[in-house]
Amino acid sequence: MPRWFARTPSGDPKSRSHLRVGIPRLLNVWSTHQFWWGFLTALGIEGEAIVFSSDTSEDQNRQFGKGRGTVDCCYPVKCGAGHYGELVFGQKRKIDIFFSPMIYTLPSFLRGHVAETLSCPRVMAGPENIKAGFIKEKDVFAENGIRYVSPLVSLGEPLIVPKQLYETLKDVLPGLTLEETRRAVHEGYQTLQDFNERLRAKGREVLEACAREDKPCLLVLARPYHMDPGIGHEIEVDLQVYGYPILWVQYFPVDPDLLGWMFGEDIRAGIVKSPFDISDVWPSSYSSNTNEILWGAKVAARVPWIACVIRLSSYECGMDQPTYTPIQQIVERSGTLFFSFQDLDSTKPAGSVKIRVETIAHYLEKYSTEIIEKKKASMPPGCPLLRDP
Amino acid sequence: MATATLQPYRAYSPKPFTKDERGQVTILFGGLHWRAERVLQAVLENLGYRAQVLPVATKEDLLRGREVADIGQCCPTSFTTGNLVNFLRSEAERIGKEEVVRKYVYFTAGSCGACRFGQYHQSYELALRNTGMEAFRMFLMAQNQLDQGAAIGDGLEINLPFTLGAAWAVLCTDVLQNLEYQVRPYEVIPGQTDQVVKESVEYLCEVFRNRPLRGKKWGSLLWHLTTGYFTKALREVHRKFAAVEVDRLRAKPIVKITGEFYLQTVEGDPNHNIHRWLESEGAEIYPAAIAVWLDYLMRLAIQDIEEYVGIDRRARLKVAALKTLQRVYRWQYDRLRHALGGQPPALPDQYELRRLAAPYFHHRLSGGEGDMLVGKALWAYHHKKAHMTCELSPYSCMPNTMSIGAMAGVVGKYPDLLYAPLEIKGDAEVHALSRCQMILTEAKKRAQKEYEEVLERTGLTAERVRGYLDAHPEMKKATYRVRRDGVVGTAANLVLDVARRGGGR
Ligand code: SF4
Ligand code: SF4
Repeated sequence: MPRWFARTPSGDPKSRSHLRVGIPRLLNVWSTHQFWWGFLTALGIEGEAIVFSSDTSEDQNRQFGKGRGTVDCCYPVKCGAGHYGELVFGQKRKIDIFFSPMIYTLPSFLRGHVAETLSCPRVMAGPENIKAGFIKEKDVFAENGIRYVSPLVSLGEPLIVPKQLYETLKDVLPGLTLEETRRAVHEGYQTLQDFNERLRAKGREVLEACAREDKPCLLVLARPYHMDPGIGHEIEVDLQVYGYPILWVQYFPVDPDLLGWMFGEDIRAGIVKSPFDISDVWPSSYSSNTNEILWGAKVAARVPWIACVIRLSSYECGMDQPTYTPIQQIVERSGTLFFSFQDLDSTKPAGSVKIRVETIAHYLEKYSTEIIEKKKASMPPGCPLLRDP
Repeated sequence: MATATLQPYRAYSPKPFTKDERGQVTILFGGLHWRAERVLQAVLENLGYRAQVLPVATKEDLLRGREVADIGQCCPTSFTTGNLVNFLRSEAERIGKEEVVRKYVYFTAGSCGACRFGQYHQSYELALRNTGMEAFRMFLMAQNQLDQGAAIGDGLEINLPFTLGAAWAVLCTDVLQNLEYQVRPYEVIPGQTDQVVKESVEYLCEVFRNRPLRGKKWGSLLWHLTTGYFTKALREVHRKFAAVEVDRLRAKPIVKITGEFYLQTVEGDPNHNIHRWLESEGAEIYPAAIAVWLDYLMRLAIQDIEEYVGIDRRARLKVAALKTLQRVYRWQYDRLRHALGGQPPALPDQYELRRLAAPYFHHRLSGGEGDMLVGKALWAYHHKKAHMTCELSPYSCMPNTMSIGAMAGVVGKYPDLLYAPLEIKGDAEVHALSRCQMILTEAKKRAQKEYEEVLERTGLTAERVRGYLDAHPEMKKATYRVRRDGVVGTAANLVLDVARRGGGR
C-alpha cells in the first residue's frame, strides 16, 4: 500500500479529541499503562483526556464501590469496584468511554523462553467480574451515558492485538480503521518499551553504585500491582527510609553483559538454555507474573549486592501459593536474606510491618557485608557491574 | 539467621519410566468418577500396562494435603495431593518406601493454563519432598500436548490406541452415568439401579479389556470411528437397565451440576457427596459429563487459532480441520447415546454456550471452565433442562470466583434462574449443604407446581395416568424414553407424554 495512503486516517481524529477515556488503574494495567497511553494518544485522544483512577484506598472503596462487590476473592480484584465507581461517579468531567482491558497474555521479557506469558485467570477476567456489580440491577454505564469497552487483548502476541482492539473500538471511535489501529498499537508498544528501558537503565545505575561501594540493595518480588500503595502498602518504602535502594523485578536490567555473567555458567553446563529460562526451578511456566517472580528469585540468588529479597503477596492469591517454597528456597540457598509479607489485604498491618521492617533493617545492618562477600566468592569474576562506565 | 550458601534449588525431575519396567511397575491414576476410572484401567490393561485406580479422596486426604503442601491451596489440589501421599504412605508401611518407589508411578493431567491446575506439579513435588519420597515418579501430562515422550520416558506410550481408548472409555461411561442418574431417583426397588450400574461397568471393563488393537495410527482411528463394537456393548447395557422398574410420576426437581472440573466430576468427600445428597433430598441430577469438557477443550483450541484468521494464512484451514474433528467427536457421542436408547441427552452446542455467556463472560477467558459456567447455567434455564443449577466452586479457586462474580449480572437479568453457587472447602459441609437446601426447596416447589399445572392443562389426574402406565408396562421400564416437551420435570413430561398418546381419555 502506498505510504501516503496508508498514512491517511479514514476518520477525522479531531472528532475524537473531545472524548474522555477512563481507565481503572488495576491489576496488569500497572505494567502496561504506558502501552495504553501510547496507543490512545496515537488514536487522537488527548493526553489530558485519559483519566486513570486513583491508587487503591479503603476510602475509594467506601465512597464508590460499596455494595458492588460480587464475590469474595483476593484484594487486587476486589478493590476493582472502588476504581470502577470512582471513574463513573467521581469525575468532575464525565468520561465518555470506560476502557477496561481484559489482558490475556503479557508482553513479558521472558516470552519465548517460558511456556506461556498468561495473566492470572483473575487478572484477565477481573473486568467481567467487577462489571457485573455495575449491571446487576441496572446498567450503570448506560445510565451515565458512558460506553463500556472491555477488549480481550493478548499483549504477548503483538500480531493479533490490532485486530482485537479494532473489533472492540471500531464502533466507539469515529472513523477508526484497522490500519490506523495497527499504527497505534505499534506506538503503544514503543512507548511501553521506552518506559521499561528507562527504568531498567535506572536499575542498572543503582546496581552499579551498590557494586562500586559494596553496599547492599533490596529486590522486591511481587506482582506489578503491588506497586499500588493500597495493595502493597508501601512496605518497600518503609525500608527505603533506612537508606537501602529498592529494585523491583519487573524493572531489573536485562543487559546481555549482566545476564551473561549471571547465567553463563548454567547455560554452558546445560542447566538452562538461555538467561531467561526458568525450567530448572519452575517447569510449569505458564503464568507471566509468576515467571518473572521466579526469574527474579534466580537473579537475587546471583547478584551479590542484592542482600535481601522482599516478597509481597496478597491474601488468597492462588497464583502465589504454589511458589512460596521454591522462591524462598532459591533465595535462601544463596545465602540471601528473605522476608515474605503474605496475606496482604485492604488494611496495612502497620504494627507488624513496623516490627518486621525494623527486624529486616537490623539483619541487613548486621549481615549484609558478610552476605555480599560470600555471594561474590561464589560468582565468576568479571562482574560487568564493576566495570568502569 | 543463616547466611550460608547451599546447593541451588532445582525443580523436581523424576527419572523416566521406561518400557522394560512395564511388567513390574503399576500406573496409578484417579480424579474422575469411579465408572470412568474403572474403564480407563481396563484400557490400560488392554494395552499391556499394569494400572491401579487410587481410592476416592477422603477428608483425611484433605487434611494430609494441607499439611504437606504450601498453605492456601484450592481444595481440589489439597484433596488430590493428600490422596496420593496417603496412598503412598500406607503402601510404604506395607512394603517399604523403596519398594513403593520402584513399584508405582503416578500419572495425572496437567494443563496449559495459568491456574493452579497448571502448577499442580509444585504441590505434588512439595508433598513428596515433605514425606521423604522425592524419588517417587510422578508425571503430568499436558492436555494439549500428547507427545511428551522425552520427559516421561517410553514406559507409557501416549499414542492413538491409548488416546482413543481413553476417549471412548470416557464417552461410554458418561452416557452410562447420565442414564443412571435419570433412573435411580425413580426406581421402584431401592438399590436396583446401583446393581445394574455395577454390572454394566464390569461388563464395559471386559469390553475395553478385549478391545481389538488395529495398529498404532490410522487403522486404529478408522476402526474407532466406524466400529459397532462399543455401540453393541452399550445396547447390552441398555438391555440390563430394562430390568429396572421406575415410577416417574414422582415430581422431582432436576438439578444441573456444574462447577470446577474435579469437583463436578468426582463423587465422594471432595464435593460432600453432593450427587447422593441431592438425590436423597428428592432431586434428579443432571450430571456434568466429562465429554462436555473435552468438547470445550476443542473449542478453546479453535478459538486460539481463530484469532489468527486474516493474519496467518493457514489459520482458516486449521480452524476448519478442528471444527471437523469436533463434529466427528459429537457424532461419536451421539452414536453412543443412541445405543442407550437416546436417553442421555446430546452434548450442548459449545458455540451456543459461548453465545449465551458472551454478554457476561468473554469466551477467551481461560482457566477452570471459562465461559462454560455462565453458558451452561443459561443453557439449562433457556432450554428447560433443569429447575436449578448447582455450581461447585472450590474454596480459593481463581477462575471459578470470577465466573461466579459474573453470574451476578446473569441473575440480575434473570431473577427466576435458580442458581446455587456452593463454595466447597472440603470441611464446611453443613454450611454448603444448607445453602443448597434453601434453593432446592424453591426448585422442589417449582417442580411440583409445574407437575400440577400439566395435570390441569391436560385434564388428567395422577390416578388416570398411573392407570395408563399400568396398562402400558413398557412405559414403566427404566429404558422407556420420555419425550421432553416444553416443561422441565420428568413427571410433568411423562404426563404430557401420556396425554399425547391419548392416555386417560
Ligand atoms: S495473581 Fe493472585 S493477587 Fe493477582 S489476581 Fe491472581 S489471585 Fe489475585
Ligand atoms: S480451576 Fe480452580 S480449583 Fe481447579 S485447579 Fe484451578 S484454581 Fe484450583
